[in-house]
Amino acid sequence: MTYVGQRIARKEDNHLLTGRGQYVADIRLPRMVEAAILRSPIAHGEIVHLDTTKARALDGVVAIITAEDLAGKVGPITRPFYKTIPDHVARETNLVVRPYRAQLLAEQKVFRVGEPVAVAIARNRYVAEDALELIEVEYEPLEALTDPQSALREGAPQLHPDVPGNIHCSFHTGAGDIEGAFGDAEHALSAQFTVGRSIGSPMETRGVLAEFDRATNQIVMWATQQKPHLLRSYLSEMLGMPEEHIRIISPDMGGSFGGGIYNEEIFIPFLARQLGRPIRWIEDRRENLGNARHTRDQYHDVDVAFNADGTIIGLKDRFLVDAGAYNPFVITLSYNTAAHLRNEFKIDNFDVEGICVLTNKRDNTPVRGAGRTSATFVIDRIVDMVAGFLKLDPAEVRRKNLIPGELMPYDMGMLYRDGGRIVYDSGDFPSQFDKALALADYAGFRQRQDQARAEGRFVGIGISSHVEGSGFGPHEGATVRIDQSGHVIVHSGSNPHGQSHETVLSQVAADALGISPDHITVRAGDTALIPHGGGTFASRSAVTAGSAVHGAATKVRQKILAIASELLEVSQQDLTIEDGRVTVKGAPGTSLSFAEIAEVASPGPGSRLPEGMEPGLEETDYYVPPTVTYSSGTHVAIVEVDPEVGTVSVLEYFVVDDCGQILNPTVVDGQQHGGVAHGIGNALLEEVVYDESGQHLNPSFMDYLIPTASDVPPVTVEHESHLSPLNPLGIKGAGEGAAVSPPAAIANAIIDALRPLEVEITQMPMTPARVWRAIETARSNGG
Amino acid sequence: MTSKIDVSFEVNGEAVSGSVEPRMTLADFLRDEVGLTGTHLGCEHGVCGACTILVNGHTARSCLMLAVQADGQKLTTVEGLESADGTLHPVQEAFSRHHALQCGFCTPGFLMNVVEYLEEGPSTEEKEIRERISGNLCRCTGYHNIVLAVKELAERQA
Repeated sequence: MTYVGQRIARKEDNHLLTGRGQYVADIRLPRMVEAAILRSPIAHGEIVHLDTTKARALDGVVAIITAEDLAGKVGPITRPFYKTIPDHVARETNLVVRPYRAQLLAEQKVFRVGEPVAVAIARNRYVAEDALELIEVEYEPLEALTDPQSALREGAPQLHPDVPGNIHCSFHTGAGDIEGAFGDAEHALSAQFTVGRSIGSPMETRGVLAEFDRATNQIVMWATQQKPHLLRSYLSEMLGMPEEHIRIISPDMGGSFGGGIYNEEIFIPFLARQLGRPIRWIEDRRENLGNARHTRDQYHDVDVAFNADGTIIGLKDRFLVDAGAYNPFVITLSYNTAAHLRNEFKIDNFDVEGICVLTNKRDNTPVRGAGRTSATFVIDRIVDMVAGFLKLDPAEVRRKNLIPGELMPYDMGMLYRDGGRIVYDSGDFPSQFDKALALADYAGFRQRQDQARAEGRFVGIGISSHVEGSGFGPHEGATVRIDQSGHVIVHSGSNPHGQSHETVLSQVAADALGISPDHITVRAGDTALIPHGGGTFASRSAVTAGSAVHGAATKVRQKILAIASELLEVSQQDLTIEDGRVTVKGAPGTSLSFAEIAEVASPGPGSRLPEGMEPGLEETDYYVPPTVTYSSGTHVAIVEVDPEVGTVSVLEYFVVDDCGQILNPTVVDGQQHGGVAHGIGNALLEEVVYDESGQHLNPSFMDYLIPTASDVPPVTVEHESHLSPLNPLGIKGAGEGAAVSPPAAIANAIIDALRPLEVEITQMPMTPARVWRAIETARSNGG
Repeated sequence: MTSKIDVSFEVNGEAVSGSVEPRMTLADFLRDEVGLTGTHLGCEHGVCGACTILVNGHTARSCLMLAVQADGQKLTTVEGLESADGTLHPVQEAFSRHHALQCGFCTPGFLMNVVEYLEEGPSTEEKEIRERISGNLCRCTGYHNIVLAVKELAERQA
């Protein structure tokens, strides 16, 4: 029996359904105290007076900490959140990167609303928050930069001394002959796009609980962290402790759609060591919406060259990223946008320039989709604009420009961030496109649309397709062990926050070993389990952790066969493994269980291992991807617009995705449903709003709207499975892709619904006010 | 500091008592004092529904109630759904079978809401179901499978 590809039930469910989950905020330790953080109320300014005397005197307060207490001991953070960009990438992309320096607590200046200024540590959170109110701070406000255009203007204040002109990084790259393409093209058009700022907003807010054990000089820390090993390396460096003395546990996590290393994850363990007491800090939702990192927020200036038949021959894009106050991920987000701008389209001549500009806002960093949502909104609007210009059906123009299946694998003529060439490794985009349109009954919809229009209703259909470079490196590790009872243990360096690692990784191990997933325990989210780990981000876990588990389990299988072959005195070719037993082919009575083999393999005098073989049934594998693998998807949205008030209802939604080998279709379907809902939020509801002074105006769920069940339609999902040639199982990532296309598909559907009015949409989210204004503009233009 | 007030109530059939500051929320009391951490805090301003519990059989947001308001009431939290022998409540079972949870953080609130819905005599219409669960936020599932689970439970009851 093969387990990969089966809809087996989740191992994770029982404890989560019964209230036995262990999220950071559920953990209490003896002598634990709690922290609350005083945050800057202004966007940019100098601290001219800071007095903590009254707060320190409050009953129940253990300590009040400011930058002065950290000076010379810990911080600032100066290492960006990724490995160095390969030299040839930097060269070929004309990369310029300025230094990154983020203060842990405000030293003299604050650079954004919400920046930590002081920490109160007290008996409990209530008292800690009381203490915050007793801290006296006076600020001398400075001019706040709240958009990249004003941060770039002549005479704008420079936020950081080593970032001239507030440009933190930039790149300029492309493919083919862009000038030639525009010279030859029969038509060209230009457009500008604005992609609003949003936030991942998992249902669990961030949290940290750190304990320092003076007896062993060790820190144990629980954190809502997607990359526990990376956090350990930061702490090791910044606290001056060996990695071995720091254990990071990412317990159950209530989602997490982006992140990196956070200040709180550095200063809380530092203070736990300093004060000798376990400290817990749990973010509240207001803090989360303003201070967990934001995303998207780009401004694109695009030119497209095309011929009368709709063939696109050249694309130019110069875009600005409102990078916020520090930009710790440097070009991760912006280069993702550039790398995915052409998506499934064959546009051989391409020129792209990305500029990340610092402002007095929260950092703009990867969140589910990570730069691709913006790219896809831009290119899919452009393609539909070309269709509109030529008075052709958008579906016709889209299909004409798709990379034909027979050209795969297809080289896009530029580099990916990891140093590999962008070569779409597998897939058949026209087939995927046709399947999606058939699923949505595109042809039939046009008839229904005519009927609806006759009734005065505005319904429309929109298409979007995307690729996703998934399974980012640099590596992922797994250890597979069989214990003396014959039970299999898998340790993964990649930890989940809802993605079902326990289930799917047990399926991979089960197939490689020849045992049911019921006899496999998967553990992850603890740096003590395995020396090196990556984590869960970049739709990478199925690809990288899946491949590592496959590799380690395959090595264990080989060892089992080698031992069994000696013991049973038959060649390995004559052995099979099923249900945890090694059996001689054709002689079902002659077999050994995993437990029996584990006993033979154990160290000591009783060991009967073949000569030279190490004891134990345990193997570790580190999977190093050659580069990313490209999953893809085509989405079709059907919407209805109320032109009087500008509201948009998504009536139906269809997805055809291709993530190569599917580990568990139920899990992948779930990722698609969730991604689409996230994308619908980005399309219609979600926008982090700052005013012109840099105040964050909507830090609550009353004002920042994430989709409810009434905002999303049922989602119909079908899969194509073109295997990746880049990893042993042919897996491509499935976690983020579904969040990429909805804004583009919905924008195109809105325009289609309002076709008689000739409305144009170039900004997301498409809030009722914006849609209404677009309609009014079109009407006043005589549309 | 403010003087404390004695409270006693019943949680999942067991008597609980304590002495609390008047400002302590019921959610914090259940989580930090009683040790029932299955009730989660997602927003602490009454929007996300993760902290939903039953008070005398009716849903309430435990982040918006003070512990002192629960005095003398009968509360049910997610920990009270499973039978003593470990059999899952039908709502829990349906959520698992339909893959209606991923990270599981919002799940306890949904379960409590749906338990009450089933008591009330649920609709089998998808639109009604979506409306009824729209007071609980989920960021992972896109609600698709939650709706399927609730629909099946409602149909079974119809």
